Amino acid sequence: MKRFLLDRIDRLRDHLASQRPLFTPQGNDGSAELNWLPLTRETPPTATGRPRLPTCPAKQFFFPEREILFRFDGNDFKETLPKPTPQILFGVRSCDLCAIAYQDRFFQQDPYYQARRRATLLVGIDCQIPCDGGFCPTVDAGPFVRDGMADLVCHQQQDEGWLLMAQSAEGEALLRGLDLKAAETSRIDQRTRAQQQVIARFPPATHIETGIQRINRAEVPAGQWQALGLQCLACSGCTSLCPTCSCFTSYDRPAADGFERERCWDSCLYDAFQREASGHNPSATAGQRVERFWFHKFSDEYAKTFGRYGCTGCGRCEKTCPGVIGVHSVMKSISAAP
Amino acid sequence: MKGLMTPQLIRITEIYDDGEASRHFTFEPVTGISHPASPGQFFTLAIPGHGEAAFTYLSLPDVRGQFKALIRRAGTLTSALFQRSRGDLIGFRGPFGNCWPLDQLQGKRVLILAGGIGLPPLAAVADHLSADDKTPVGLIYGSRSPADQVLQHERSAWHKCMPILETFDHPSNGKQLIGTPLDHISQMTAKLGGAPEAILTCGPEVMMSAAGRHFAANGLPPENIWLALERRMHCGVGECGHCYLGSSYVCTDGPIYSWQQLARLQSQTTA
Repeated sequence: MKRFLLDRIDRLRDHLASQRPLFTPQGNDGSAELNWLPLTRETPPTATGRPRLPTCPAKQFFFPEREILFRFDGNDFKETLPKPTPQILFGVRSCDLCAIAYQDRFFQQDPYYQARRRATLLVGIDCQIPCDGGFCPTVDAGPFVRDGMADLVCHQQQDEGWLLMAQSAEGEALLRGLDLKAAETSRIDQRTRAQQQVIARFPPATHIETGIQRINRAEVPAGQWQALGLQCLACSGCTSLCPTCSCFTSYDRPAADGFERERCWDSCLYDAFQREASGHNPSATAGQRVERFWFHKFSDEYAKTFGRYGCTGCGRCEKTCPGVIGVHSVMKSISAAP
Repeated sequence: MKGLMTPQLIRITEIYDDGEASRHFTFEPVTGISHPASPGQFFTLAIPGHGEAAFTYLSLPDVRGQFKALIRRAGTLTSALFQRSRGDLIGFRGPFGNCWPLDQLQGKRVLILAGGIGLPPLAAVADHLSADDKTPVGLIYGSRSPADQVLQHERSAWHKCMPILETFDHPSNGKQLIGTPLDHISQMTAKLGGAPEAILTCGPEVMMSAAGRHFAANGLPPENIWLALERRMHCGVGECGHCYLGSSYVCTDGPIYSWQQLARLQSQTTA
């Protein structure tokens, strides 16, 4: 891993954008809400200070909401693998990078995901201040970018400028022509200390810790899940915005010369998610489905497989849920249960 | 080479009715290349414009890749399949999932308990065990009524080499056995020459759970009770999420689970 000193982060952004299409979180037409959009002359400078996450995580770049899997042309089935253009995602936060690493593993055998993922270079930014509702340190997903989770990592230093870390050969190659000075080893120790200071500024998350324990001990009474289920509108807001959620359904639709199979995001909170052709539904109640969602996020069983929980502490579910059963509300409720 | 998500063409080579709303299909891959499968595994069929669904092997692919399935008309895909004729081409993916624990059954007294349309997933393992002299095997097959029974041809063959009891919720005459398969265990135990040492079951989940509880309570080790579970399997490769059962996916970790494994998965959640 090579380390450099960088004066202005947007000098890096412009340099990278001159080589490949670059996407970065920004408001659309002056909107306060951040979205992943291509860099243009109107894009504001990269924000520093209290971080704000883009409304949607980066998963849409690799696992789009809709995509064609194959076509049937009247004679045979033809696989339709994407042929993505190389691209750069600039300014990905640690929680979302951990989620990308999680999905990289989940979709290991998926040629559609992998084609898009391989064409994408990730540039991470350390969060220097806790974001609103985030609890990444509790689930080991931040606030600073973990080793190996991005090609390039930017860290704003307390004294001056940025520490730029190249974590892949491809990332390092894209820095050519930037004329950067190598950074001293002591900068790494400073970064480690800085992370401890940021972590200390996060509000207590004992409700999350206790909730995780109770889920793993199967201690939450069925009645409490059913009560939480009453608040679920089955809108799929949480599953759409969750950076690790990956369930999909697929269906055939008419195409010019036959049919094509499209897959699109699905949600385990939908009533018919598990319903079989016979009518049998193993998860027929909203309470069962709400429990399923949180079990999938916080069970040690999945942590064994993926090396981390399926929740990276971004807090998007809490912000989007109209039934007030996002992560903080649910974990407060179940950690307070008798 | 097509990816895991893209079907390949197979031809329907034979169709006949077999039980209420059920048909017996024989398929053959257009390529002539056989994809070896094991008893208990499953595959998917795709009909363009009507989607895709999962089915079990009734007989395993032979050297030409020809295999059989018993399919009941239940939803969109099966309704479209029942419109197809001999010679028609459709899509196929597979095989998927795990298989019955053949090695662990060797030399044991095996009881097969089937309910309704749960008989086909047990057919390939019944064929396998009936060819093994050292493994005594018996079958209890429960149906709602005689008209609902499937696999008449296969059952005739098994009658020659294993004890079979057929039970009905609604028998059509006084000679037929009334009740569920579990009501007739002692009769089968006598025919098998002793209490079963391994159970293989497939049918409605309430029947399988009752069987699991019964045999576990009667001292059979839970790791010797095996169930074939049904879930809604879309992708077959553990990605789409629909077939979850606790922390496992039935399409890749199943569809065969031991009573011990199932109990552990069910204890993970409470609702």
